[in-house]
Amino acid sequence: MSGNEQETANYSSSPSRGRRWKTSERVFNVFNITLMILLCIIFIYPYVNQLAVSLNDSNDTALGGITVYPRVITFENYNMVFSNSMFTSALFVSVVRVIVGCLSGLFVTYSAAYALSKQSLPGRAFFTTVLLIPMFVSGGMIPTFILYRMMGLMNKFPVYILPYLFGFYNMIIIRTFLRTIPESLEESAMLDGANSVDIMFRIYVPLSMPVIATIALWMAVFHWNDWTSTLLYVQSKSLHTLQFMMYRLLKESEVMMQIAADRARQGLASGEDVPKITPESLKAATLMVSTIPIVVVYPFLQKYFVKGIMIGAIKE
Amino acid sequence: MSATPSKYMNRRKLMIRIRQHALYYVLIGFALVWTLVFQFLPMAGIVMAFQDFDIIKGFRGSPWVGFKHFIEMFRIDPLRRAIVNTIYYSVLKLFFAFPLTIIFALLLNELTNMTFKRIVQTVSYLPYFLSWIAVVSLFYSFFELYGPLNDLRLRLFGPDTPRVNILMEPRYFTGIMFWSHVYKEIGWGTIIYLAAISGIDGQLYEAAVVDGCGRFRLVLHITLPGIMPTIVILFIMQAGGLLNANFEQIIGLQNLYTRESSEVINTIVYRYGLQQGKFSLATAFGLTQGVVSFIIMFVVNRISKSLSGVGVW
Repeated sequence: MSGNEQETANYSSSPSRGRRWKTSERVFNVFNITLMILLCIIFIYPYVNQLAVSLNDSNDTALGGITVYPRVITFENYNMVFSNSMFTSALFVSVVRVIVGCLSGLFVTYSAAYALSKQSLPGRAFFTTVLLIPMFVSGGMIPTFILYRMMGLMNKFPVYILPYLFGFYNMIIIRTFLRTIPESLEESAMLDGANSVDIMFRIYVPLSMPVIATIALWMAVFHWNDWTSTLLYVQSKSLHTLQFMMYRLLKESEVMMQIAADRARQGLASGEDVPKITPESLKAATLMVSTIPIVVVYPFLQKYFVKGIMIGAIKE
Repeated sequence: MSATPSKYMNRRKLMIRIRQHALYYVLIGFALVWTLVFQFLPMAGIVMAFQDFDIIKGFRGSPWVGFKHFIEMFRIDPLRRAIVNTIYYSVLKLFFAFPLTIIFALLLNELTNMTFKRIVQTVSYLPYFLSWIAVVSLFYSFFELYGPLNDLRLRLFGPDTPRVNILMEPRYFTGIMFWSHVYKEIGWGTIIYLAAISGIDGQLYEAAVVDGCGRFRLVLHITLPGIMPTIVILFIMQAGGLLNANFEQIIGLQNLYTRESSEVINTIVYRYGLQQGKFSLATAFGLTQGVVSFIIMFVVNRISKSLSGVGVW
């Protein structure tokens, strides 16, 4: 499934030719493996525990003692999340943000990388410097806030997209990749009368799918996981994201009361007794809904993620 | 004598080249305009640190007050405390979390079963892919009054053990901050070291084995020196963030009980600026933090360059 390139030369970890492990080395091996298993448990336990809680009956959870499996299995907690309009709206905003944010971000970043990968472009060094400066100095939180306010971005969906259209680091990774594509391809296309934008979309974009996939994954994870833009720039509840719902569940007890009221109203409308959901179970279900898309996918795509940081690390 | 015509020729050639590249300028134009608007304009907005900025009057209408806010900010007790906290947290991360990552990478490298190693790595990446608020949520559930940790304590020390609400106690905040940082970053942080280790020349190890080095001395004399440049560069980059606490982490972990004692510069800027509307004062904090950070980065880089020849630039 996953391939890491780091395991090629591993001289220090195998006993050299013809020699057996020394006793001290064998003791170390046992110690090391035990430690690693222990660490794995620590890494994964809190998450599996929440998975169990999210699948467990809410009243039963309140008794305590849930470990890694649900005692009384129920999907009521998820049902709750997916039937509440606050959560469905947040899920919708999150998904739209990821799609729009990735596509627009890829376009702007890729275009810049493509132009800057041309050695013959006059002013290339100057443009690179201009784009690089923000890596070292920035206006800071308050001036940025005031600017967004003056631009009318507050409480608008574009505040999730526009500030993240370009990333210098991503641009460098794409540019590095583009330089490995032979220029003769472009020259022959030029002779056929294609212009540079045609060439970019018809020749370079299809050839650079591996790097585009890498950057797209990074952007998707960023957009999906970001919650501070909501904290800083968005009050309107209809624009809250799934990650921000988690923040609200942690910080505002009133959210729970509102949800309880909503449910009671639903119960009155349908004439049934709606089961009560405790904050613990609701939190666990929200956590799962907002993390599972990434948790399920990353083990299979980790080589793309790893590749991203490797290219960047070598280049800079 | 012939300088003028050739200069003229050069300029003409340049104009032709620029015209040939017209579409490329359009392509890079998006990123340039974006950088000007979203990065350079906020930098210009820093002038408000020297004003009594009023959001209705704007930059032109607000009165200029010179260094008033810079003098005032050192009289504010919460800020002084935030500076101390920020440095304290960063030093903990730099001198304890940073070496832990290296140790974890070295131990991973000693695993001989590649499948097992890959599983451990994959599992250790998990927290990295969660958002900070998700990690905070995990920690809250884990340390809750009726969460797994308290359950475990009761099982270990008997049912009479009082349950402790760890996350509501200010004195535990630093520990929670530190370990949540380690939990989230340590696995992912090893990638760069493992890559550096795989880049070490295998002949070095062979030669050392011939000279009678055991496994532990190989790590000490070959592996560690081999990744030293990587360690130094990462250390410099982290040291540059001495005044930069993780806003997402701290604001997520804080609650009514722990907030006051755990404020850092970033969160103070947020509270004074965005929650209380003291824009100019908060900008003055932020600007001072930025300038000092830049100086620290510069100095650490200099020192490292003169000591070891390794620097970020």
